[in-house]
Amino acid sequence: MIRMGTKTSTAFFVACVMSLGTQAASADEVIKLGLSVPLSGAGANWGIGSQWLCEEAAREIKAGGGVKVGGKTYNYQCVAYDNKYNAAEGTKVAQTLLRRDNVKFIGGSLGTAPVRALQSLTEREGVLLFNVAWGASIKGPDYPLTFTQMNTPNEILFPLIKFVKSANPAMQTVALLNPNDATGQDTEKIARKAWESVGVKVLSSDWYERGTTEFQPIATKLAGVKPDAVDLGAAPPSDAGSVFRELKAAGWKGVQVVEVGTGAEGLVATGRGAVDKTYMGAAVTFDGPNVTARQKELNAGVQKATGESMNAVQIGFYDSVMALKAAMEKAQSIEPKAVAKVLPEITFPSVFGTAGFGGQKTYGSPQQILIPVIVTQMNGDKLVEVQRIESEELKQRLGR
Amino acid sequence: MQTLLQLILTGLQIGSVYMLFSLGLTLIFGVMKIVNFAHGQFFTLSAMLVAVLVPWLLMQGLPLSAAFGLAVLGGIAASVVLGMLLYQFAFRFFQRDLAGSFILSVGLVLLFEGAFLHYFGGAVRSVPPIIDGTVSIFGTAVTLQRLILCLVAFGFTFALYWVLTRTRLGKAMRAVAIDHEAAMLQGIPYKRIAFHAFAMATFLGAVAGAIMAPISTVTPTVGADYLVKGFIAVIIGGLGSVPGAIVGSLFIAFIESFGGYYVDPSSANMAIFVLVMLILLLRPKGLMGNG
Repeated sequence: MIRMGTKTSTAFFVACVMSLGTQAASADEVIKLGLSVPLSGAGANWGIGSQWLCEEAAREIKAGGGVKVGGKTYNYQCVAYDNKYNAAEGTKVAQTLLRRDNVKFIGGSLGTAPVRALQSLTEREGVLLFNVAWGASIKGPDYPLTFTQMNTPNEILFPLIKFVKSANPAMQTVALLNPNDATGQDTEKIARKAWESVGVKVLSSDWYERGTTEFQPIATKLAGVKPDAVDLGAAPPSDAGSVFRELKAAGWKGVQVVEVGTGAEGLVATGRGAVDKTYMGAAVTFDGPNVTARQKELNAGVQKATGESMNAVQIGFYDSVMALKAAMEKAQSIEPKAVAKVLPEITFPSVFGTAGFGGQKTYGSPQQILIPVIVTQMNGDKLVEVQRIESEELKQRLGR
Repeated sequence: MQTLLQLILTGLQIGSVYMLFSLGLTLIFGVMKIVNFAHGQFFTLSAMLVAVLVPWLLMQGLPLSAAFGLAVLGGIAASVVLGMLLYQFAFRFFQRDLAGSFILSVGLVLLFEGAFLHYFGGAVRSVPPIIDGTVSIFGTAVTLQRLILCLVAFGFTFALYWVLTRTRLGKAMRAVAIDHEAAMLQGIPYKRIAFHAFAMATFLGAVAGAIMAPISTVTPTVGADYLVKGFIAVIIGGLGSVPGAIVGSLFIAFIESFGGYYVDPSSANMAIFVLVMLILLLRPKGLMGNG
């Protein structure tokens, strides 16, 4: 009798456990979104803010009922590793995400060099890759699973530089300085064309290694060529602030541009008063009358996480999660290739409003997010929006 | 002419921090015959604490000079305490063991880099300018802040030189560096000398970090950059040679300054590595090394 009782209770116990398992299977499933971002060094705030925004988007989607595909509900989990903004660490992160963590979707990746390392694996293994890398060379028909979720040099530089020239018509010459990596090299090529297109001569183009903390020699050289303007291209804000500080100490005065300038705080922290009137191409302001409550909420969250305002680099990590949800629900699939196929067809709610993917004419394939280009300028230590240029392609698609 | 003077002054300013850093490295090698890769962590801790404490002390209402002074004292003290703990519980068991100390110090680098990233965060920090204004030296503008920090660095370097040449402790260190067994036979307490040498090296690394903080950007991994340059300076000058460390530091600083101006900073960096390879091939003991 006892044995019968034991058998019965054991069977009952097993049945309970199995039913729990069944319930677990029918509860929300989790899709991991890998993130390859710098979490240390000059780009750390970009990475930390990006991670927070990915997690916030995932929370928002979960609170809204999750992603509905094939009768199941999925939620996202953001998994971030530090790529230190270089190819070597980017490769390690790529191996970790794809081999150890088996992620099928890269929710965001930052830095052309680490993105290239990641892309060499993701395209081969059928993993969808979102990135905010500035290299034009990572997009195209050869990379069907790669999508860029922020404006890049092709979108930003021409309108930014055209605006700067129109605001400073006396400007005739410029000196360029870029980090000596894939991001800087890709940015420099387009910057040259953009400056020359508005009749400004490029006097010099120099490079520095990421991780440099001593900028006096390079600032001496830049000041020595006596340019009307200095364009710091893809330099992160903290590096840019240091360069402008050294330029001021060297006695140089002129027009200051940081194409990938993403916010005031990093610039002011290292540049102090030397960064007044600096133009930036990837910063966003959140204190105008058209700012939505959700934008302010997100900005507040990023400020708490990083001490700096939200910027275009980080916003891409929120937008990619929203785009992924919309594409998965349209495709009714969680297979990366099926999702990638519908991404150019969908529109989705981005931080900037409704957005989509396009750029077929520029890149040969619609892999570029379509969002406004925002030109900002430092006014003292405050950032001010001076121009906003909407995407023509998106306006046509939305019938505006 | 002005450009030449500017570049020389830039080289001296950059070189002064490298000098203090590499003196610590060469002192440890000279006395203990070990290579301490964790030296950069003393530098980093001091710099990070200065970058964290100065804004905090300013918020408490202290004037800038007092805030900086206290922050520097705090940063140096914390680094020296860390150094002493590492010596007592780790390095003293690996004296004259190159391989063992190498593995130990690399492990410590990974440990402390992770700890700094965790506790300080990865973002770049900066210290407000302590002194504003520029001075003109033979028609070349130099910021007062950099000039004073440069003078402080040279001051500590001369102080070290005086200690090594004029004090019993310094002479004992030199004796140990030349032949530790003969020194012990003469009654020199080797373990106590090694302890003092480690303490002094840590102190120098911490001072270098503290004076670097106001003129550069500070991150939890900043020590790694200076470690590479510091080692190159020591190799060029000769492991264990104090004058060699000074010469090596100024050498690479001038390459950075002149190379960065006449070519570009990336090429200047490459030139430094090419130079150290040539030195290792042609004169492995360094310009002023003895063994």
